[in-house]
Amino acid sequence: MIRDRLREVSGQIIAIAVALILGAIIILLVGESPVRVLMTLLRGAFGDQEKIAGTLLQTTPILICGVAACIGLRGGMFNVGIEGQLFLGGFAAAWVGFAFALPPGIHMLAALALAVVAGAAWVAIPAYFRARYNTNEVVSTILSNYVAVLLTSYFTIFLFKRPGGWSETPPILATAYLPELFSFSRLNWGLVIGLVLALGAALIFRYTSWGYGVTMVGSAPKFAEYGGVNVKRQGFVVLLLSGAVGGLAGGIETLGVHHRFMEGFAPGFGFDGLIAALLANGSPVATIFTALFFGALRSGSLLLEVDTSASREIITVIQALIILSVSAQVLVKRRGDSQAGERRWKF
Amino acid sequence: MEILDKLVNVALIAATLRTTAPILLVALGGSFTTKAGIFNIGLEGQMLAGAFFAVIGSIWTGSAFAGVACGVAAALAFALVFAVLVVSFRANEVVVGLALNILAGGMTISLMKAIFGTRGSIVGHGIVGLPKVQLPGARAVLGSWAPLISGFTPIVYVAFIAVPLLVLFYNRTRLGLYIRVVGEKPEAAEALGISITRVRYTASLLCGLLAGLAGAHLSLGYITMFTENMSSGRGFMAVAILIFSNGDPLKVLWGCLLFGFADAFSLRLQTFGYPSYLVLTVPYVVALTALFALSYRARPKIITETLASMQRLLSTDKNIEPGGKHPS
Repeated sequence: MIRDRLREVSGQIIAIAVALILGAIIILLVGESPVRVLMTLLRGAFGDQEKIAGTLLQTTPILICGVAACIGLRGGMFNVGIEGQLFLGGFAAAWVGFAFALPPGIHMLAALALAVVAGAAWVAIPAYFRARYNTNEVVSTILSNYVAVLLTSYFTIFLFKRPGGWSETPPILATAYLPELFSFSRLNWGLVIGLVLALGAALIFRYTSWGYGVTMVGSAPKFAEYGGVNVKRQGFVVLLLSGAVGGLAGGIETLGVHHRFMEGFAPGFGFDGLIAALLANGSPVATIFTALFFGALRSGSLLLEVDTSASREIITVIQALIILSVSAQVLVKRRGDSQAGERRWKF
Repeated sequence: MEILDKLVNVALIAATLRTTAPILLVALGGSFTTKAGIFNIGLEGQMLAGAFFAVIGSIWTGSAFAGVACGVAAALAFALVFAVLVVSFRANEVVVGLALNILAGGMTISLMKAIFGTRGSIVGHGIVGLPKVQLPGARAVLGSWAPLISGFTPIVYVAFIAVPLLVLFYNRTRLGLYIRVVGEKPEAAEALGISITRVRYTASLLCGLLAGLAGAHLSLGYITMFTENMSSGRGFMAVAILIFSNGDPLKVLWGCLLFGFADAFSLRLQTFGYPSYLVLTVPYVVALTALFALSYRARPKIITETLASMQRLLSTDKNIEPGGKHPS
């Protein structure tokens, strides 16, 4: 058992090492020194306490989106629409934040609640068709991302634009702010919420029969059905929950960091979360660490743009390479035995 | 009515054919992988890489066709990586496809910054666009309808000619048959001595070829520039089309014409002052609606197939291994 776990982790580390070597080659190709890029990344991510707080600030949405992705992956669902749920959740929270006046605390909770509802509602149609008619959820959720981003831009620019502002809503009232943890950073309670969510999800998957059922549907749907799980309804619920957490990520980002909704306010966090969850193999606890890793990369990349000639997108290249090498090694080992099982995503 | 006349005319139909071409090419490319039983969500990335390297090649050599060749080569490289990971390493198709899309997005932006020192887009720098082909005699025969068949770039013609060619390919050639067998009944293919690996590699590379052409059309066709993520979901729309067409070239054509029309129509609407953000959602909403509506319609087929296979299972001997192929 422990040996298996060790082998899995070491395989993961070898895959990351391979990806980093490939990444170094690409950095050389774009005319930068890999060592300099690495040092700049490290300095940007962990240079001083403000930088560390900045890293954690970037980690928060990746972690929450990662938990959302984990919930889906556990249940055998690829929720690639977290990005869209994040945007709608972010907008919904901002709307409650600036359009209503409520007592402190309650205002924030109401905003977060609407973010959750918005995220779940946005995934509801793809989830329904996935559960009922087996419509491929990967494609439907990806396409709905584009609609979500454009729709929130429309809301922001045509319906709720701050007078005199530039593609952003009016600022939310201070009663809806998520409290900050330290005075020197915008790092807020969102991180704590993310950690609680990750641990809570892990406990639910490990200790409740519902969580066990979800995992079973994800790994062996026939067995789960035979065991009395309503596979269709559960698939629907899993996607809905995943979307709800995705919406929450957006709400936390607006209430904790930006205090308004801006066009393109959180680019790529949904995809980073999905990648973090894939790298963690669907385990919420492991997602904490992979999200931290990606948060550090993101935070470091801000300095990269300033100090070197490389663009910050070089880190998405590295992330993609990591996933590619991990996907190769994990599945060589696991899927060697069956032809039928690996065609699960066939339509 | 007058507004309708302004919106729908020969120019709109010609624009539809233009906007259909890239999505048709990428969807026809995807039909190879779909028929071979591979779910290829990486079309978007192949197309984006094709668009970027077509621009690079065009600047570098000063020739549009050499640019197209560069774009195709880049898309082929992505397709090859996809095939190595999915076919040889048996990695999850969705994961690999998504990762390659992210890779293409990050790589093109990084290279743009490294080569041109800019963010956002590449304009000018001596990009040579594809020439427009004026068919001789088109104006004499069709009069004002001539723009419907004449004046497109070569890639548009390739896209539409590819449809009947692919129908013939799947029905009349050995490789086409092999691809279909490998996709539908891999066990049968294996029993016949067809190399599943080789056929799937071939299908993936053919897919990369057409996706690269589609990308080159985006950046060298009617606008000669490259912008960040300029494929803007067309690869995903193509996948949606492939799902409900099952990769049949003719059905792919109808689906793509629908999207091309939605695309051209939404561009039209923008010039009439409708909020661009809402108008831009039209193609995606059309794609989603079609996907949902047609999967609802396909439901009886799934049920009948399941029933048929259950009957088969019950009527033949009871010793069928439980890990056998599952319908749907």
